[in-house]
Amino acid sequence: MNRRDFLAKGSTVAGAGLVLAAPSILKAADGNNDKINVALIGMGKQGRVLFEAMSNIPGLHFQAVCDIWDYNLKGGAGKVRAIQGEMPNTYTDIEDLLEKEKGLDVAVVATPDFWHAPHTVACLKAGLNVYCEKMMSNTLDGARSIVRAAEESGKLCQIGHQRRSNPRYRFTLDHLINNNKVCGTIVNINGQWNRALKSSQDISYNKRLTIDQDRLTKYGFKDMHQFMNWRFYRDLSGGPISDLGAHQIDVFGWFLNCQPKSVYASGGNDYFKTREHFDNVMAIFEYDAPQGPVRAFYQVLTTTSAGGGFYESFMGTDGTVNISEMASSSAMYRESTAPEWDDLVRRGYMRKKPAPPKPAASDGVASYESAAPEEYTIPGVLNKPPHQPHLENFFASVRGEAKLNCDAKHAFESEAPIFWVNPSALKKEPIVFTPEQLQV
Amino acid sequence: MKPTKTSIVSNLILGAAAALMLGACGDKDGAEDGDNTGGSGTNDPGVGTQGGVELTTDLPKEVIEGSPKPKGIKNLAPETKKFPKFLVPEGTVNLAKGKKVTASDDYPILGEPELITDGEKETGEGYFLELIEGTQWVQIDLEKSNPIYAIVMWHFHGQKRAYHDIIVQASDDPDFKEGVTTLFNNDYDNSSKLGKGNNQPYVESRFGQLVNGKGTKARYVRLYSNGNSANEMNHYIEVEVFGKPE
Repeated sequence: MNRRDFLAKGSTVAGAGLVLAAPSILKAADGNNDKINVALIGMGKQGRVLFEAMSNIPGLHFQAVCDIWDYNLKGGAGKVRAIQGEMPNTYTDIEDLLEKEKGLDVAVVATPDFWHAPHTVACLKAGLNVYCEKMMSNTLDGARSIVRAAEESGKLCQIGHQRRSNPRYRFTLDHLINNNKVCGTIVNINGQWNRALKSSQDISYNKRLTIDQDRLTKYGFKDMHQFMNWRFYRDLSGGPISDLGAHQIDVFGWFLNCQPKSVYASGGNDYFKTREHFDNVMAIFEYDAPQGPVRAFYQVLTTTSAGGGFYESFMGTDGTVNISEMASSSAMYRESTAPEWDDLVRRGYMRKKPAPPKPAASDGVASYESAAPEEYTIPGVLNKPPHQPHLENFFASVRGEAKLNCDAKHAFESEAPIFWVNPSALKKEPIVFTPEQLQV
Repeated sequence: MKPTKTSIVSNLILGAAAALMLGACGDKDGAEDGDNTGGSGTNDPGVGTQGGVELTTDLPKEVIEGSPKPKGIKNLAPETKKFPKFLVPEGTVNLAKGKKVTASDDYPILGEPELITDGEKETGEGYFLELIEGTQWVQIDLEKSNPIYAIVMWHFHGQKRAYHDIIVQASDDPDFKEGVTTLFNNDYDNSSKLGKGNNQPYVESRFGQLVNGKGTKARYVRLYSNGNSANEMNHYIEVEVFGKPE
């Protein structure tokens, strides 16, 4: 896609990505190309987030909803009724759904991580295109099974690394980092997701809504607390490095266009001492990127926001790009020795922020202070739900109008190194990756 | 027009050659936090009944999801940091506890109306009622007409969001056609067509929002809302109506 194309088309196209070739084209079962029949698999918090985003996308028919918790099931069906005017079919069991529902085109999987692979594979084998939340699985083999099922079925499978469809990220990568080389040579990366303690508490639930123990056991949960807080358990999820870090470590590899060669991590249960997963993790990845070696640091903290939130910082010889889903955390800084960016400002690629006021005169004590770096911003604010462009890309691909921005194969390449962060931290040893550790 | 989901889906290109397709600001006026062009009143309930006793209530713990804050809300009230000191006549009790609740939406998306008066104020799953988009109401039947001195309401305090067009009324008429007293109204642009109000929009918190009942004698209390800054739906966790049985 050239810049003129980019300018000429709407944000849906921008969200759809740099897409020229049409993939396998799917027609809805009733022959109406505009109508895509969707099954919603999992209507917990993330399922609702995705539904909110999908409700902005025209041409979708939400045919069926599945969740093992009646509370989620009723709520999901109610949300569908609210926008569609009719109740969808409801199911507790996905196998029941796949057996009975006819004419489905798509499944959107937002179940707990340890169910992602079984559910996604079942849907692919049933002939559905699948949008599956990240991580692909809580295990490397689970993630592999999705890649294989997608290849064998010939169906589309998009994994929910939604930054890959975010116009700000795509613009930054394509036009600022690649085409205009604002970073020069990227030499280091820093990323973080710092979450405040008040946002990291156990998820509570109204005890009157407790799921029958037989049903909990059938679906792999020992009790209701585990069902509500499955992210704390090693057999059910990858913990904070997976829940939060995977989004940003995905961006590291995407922007560098390679996998890391090693990881060295440290983590601990320093605050939440009874949780199985680390409540804070720090990891160093080393890359042999096409442009040169890069060392990347990533931290996920769940007991302090540290005034920082979440962002990724690409540091180069000519400049640094800080990027985030939050516009307020996105900025660029030019190295004083780098070529001027005035022409990029004139052409609308970036805006220059006013220089900060000079510090007050010294009180006489000798001091040394570097000049504040020039700060630039990316113009505009994404004002869609953050998952919407990625879902738009998925449904455009289902219609044959786009190519997936994060198919299962590329998602696996991105996620594989992340599976080794916790093992490195547990062993307190660096892991130099072998091909077997990173390949399907 | 308040910033809602439907108002933010349109997009435009910012900058002639910005080459970046991003969205327009959700608020038609482009108002930012702290804009003082909205309602001119405050949400301060005052001191309450002179010579009375301090109103107390059990407060839920703070659990906040994520860090987004409302944008584009005019005249947003300062964030609540504590439950206000407010005096009520001795013998005042929560008249709403366990009382029947009805709602404008016959098919709530999540939860049941009874959750609003069950005494549970937590923000977790299963504690709140979710009603469809648009201006919706819930109504509590206190069973008898008694003087009301305070109303405390919690919409959904698990995220820093502001609900639109919050209107609290009291009446002895279950249809709210006659003898209606409006105790709180932050619909600064009358978008819900119930009259323009001077109270401020506010960010939900575990402290709820205390409304001065002013001793209004009423059997029914009705609370309106019209979506919120995070989505178009309407939510209620708990409503307490403090009055003195006669």
